[in-house]
Amino acid sequence: MALSRNKLRTFLTGFAISWGIFILIVLLAAGNGIMNGISEEFSDQSKNTYMIFGGETSKPFKGHGINRDIWFTDKDIRFLENEAQHVDQVSPTINSNGFAYFGDKSCSVNMRGVRPVFQSISNVDLIEGRLLNERDEKQSEKVALIDDALEKHLFDNGISPIGQFIIVNGIAYKVIGVYEGDPNSSGGGALVPFSTLKKITNQSHYWMLRFTVKGLETKEDNEAYTEYLRTQLAHLHEFDPNDMSAVYIRSTQEEYLQTMKIFNTFELFIWIIGFAMLASGIVGVSNIMRITVKERTNEIGIRKALGAKSRSILASIVTESMIITTIFGYIGMWLGMVVAEVSGNILKTIQEGNSVTLNIVPSIDIRIVIMATALLIVCGVLAGFFPARNAVRIKPIEAMNYR
Amino acid sequence: MIRLENINKTYFGAQPLHVLKGINLHVEEGEMVSIMGASGSGKSTLLNILGILDNYDTGDYYLNGKLVKDLSENEAADMRNRTIGFIFQSFNLIPFKTAMENVALPLYYQNVSRKKRNNLALEYLERFGLREWADHYPNELSGGQKQRVSMARALVTQPKIILADEPTGALDSKTSAEVMQILREVNQSGITMVIVTHEKGIALRTNKIIHLKDGVIENIEINNPDLIDFNTEIK
Repeated sequence: MALSRNKLRTFLTGFAISWGIFILIVLLAAGNGIMNGISEEFSDQSKNTYMIFGGETSKPFKGHGINRDIWFTDKDIRFLENEAQHVDQVSPTINSNGFAYFGDKSCSVNMRGVRPVFQSISNVDLIEGRLLNERDEKQSEKVALIDDALEKHLFDNGISPIGQFIIVNGIAYKVIGVYEGDPNSSGGGALVPFSTLKKITNQSHYWMLRFTVKGLETKEDNEAYTEYLRTQLAHLHEFDPNDMSAVYIRSTQEEYLQTMKIFNTFELFIWIIGFAMLASGIVGVSNIMRITVKERTNEIGIRKALGAKSRSILASIVTESMIITTIFGYIGMWLGMVVAEVSGNILKTIQEGNSVTLNIVPSIDIRIVIMATALLIVCGVLAGFFPARNAVRIKPIEAMNYR
Repeated sequence: MIRLENINKTYFGAQPLHVLKGINLHVEEGEMVSIMGASGSGKSTLLNILGILDNYDTGDYYLNGKLVKDLSENEAADMRNRTIGFIFQSFNLIPFKTAMENVALPLYYQNVSRKKRNNLALEYLERFGLREWADHYPNELSGGQKQRVSMARALVTQPKIILADEPTGALDSKTSAEVMQILREVNQSGITMVIVTHEKGIALRTNKIIHLKDGVIENIEINNPDLIDFNTEIK
């Protein structure tokens, strides 16, 4: 009945509502975006991968003392390939550092001998050329897949590295492809067949073995399998199966579950902030409604003297607060969704050219948005209702003479 | 029309205040009565009780033959709306409504359709010479115009009785005389009128002057308003 009477106050009331909803939506959208980015990252690694690391014994066992280093050997690789349950493909790794030369240029390089399966486990992104294949591995070919950093250091612009020979530690490798390397590492990187580097470096001890598994779905499956691995390795290397420091066993699923645990906490945090925002919006609306009704006490008194029933006054005030909260709640909801959507599109465009970073694209759950808006509207209406009820309880003559 | 029997009213504050001490009063239909008294004499309280804006502690109040006692809020609102018209010293117009909307407001609470109540409001504004001011807001009107709007509002429901609380209190003497002339004409159309005032000039324009002092009726003075020249100034 008096929406237009005090435009500033109506605007302030509305602003409190719009702002609360707006912030909540943007916040939730950002949180959702980060969550989605994380799960996308994990969805790349669809294969469950296990890593076993050699450690140091901490318990005496069968005549062995403590502090004995455990290294993996070809025996362990054979065990995993031929005997161990659930193992799909084994991906052992040999490291060799040195300098790579091409013409008069050189660059430090971290060379890794890997089997072809490594490339799918570690999400190697090919830029040009081809990946390592089974034939390279079987025939111990002297071929190398170099990363973009190494390419940049060794090859001038316009020269394709494919088919060229680079020299590392006195051995010439034919470059077969370029992949996207880790932008954070200094120097270059190169992948060569496992069998090739094993022959060259004569390594037979590995501190880490990586392999993919099949048929392990649940957390319980993985825990049981970890126990199984430890027992088997204890048998092979003669250490106490209860010695937790002799070998370390990790799986990507375990990592995934751990990350999810962190993100559940993060989500809870976002909800707490969101609710705090919503609460401050509600407090703002309540306050302004209270003042509005107080200022209208005179008018309420006049109306009552002229024969208005309390019910009709209450109804008109509640209707008014409902109109204000609904309109401005809707505006805030709409603005929040627009900002989330637009910033999402902008981030998407930026991130498309840069696939290494996490994809954070804000997104919104429409049910939550509607629920939050509805809650705010209900609170706004209640915020108008209670002071209005108190105002109509005053005797008309007192209301008319108020202030 | 109005019958008060031994009305008592006490305000219970930090210091209980016995404002009305056994008021007995009869006002016949069509009478024009003024209530006079110093401030604190209880005249405003009496008017509030007459207007069912306030309740009383003991006694009986009959309005238009009906006992007004222990009414629910809604019954009181209905009775005010249909039988009583109010005129206040400070006009009590709603500032964000036009003159016409203000006049039409009591009809809204009788569920009269918008078109009908606006037409009736215009008719009453016409009667008070304010037809051209119908779309103006109260702050665009002079004091006399505002009081005429509030008189139109009081009469639009065709009440049995008009209660006026210091109707000329906020007006100059010339406007006061005009307002009193209108009220007298209203009274002559058969509507009972009770005016609370502390100005002798106003009281002299009514038929009966009730002198109130310290919560009791001191005396009732019968007066012939025809004896005074209505063109003389009031204040």
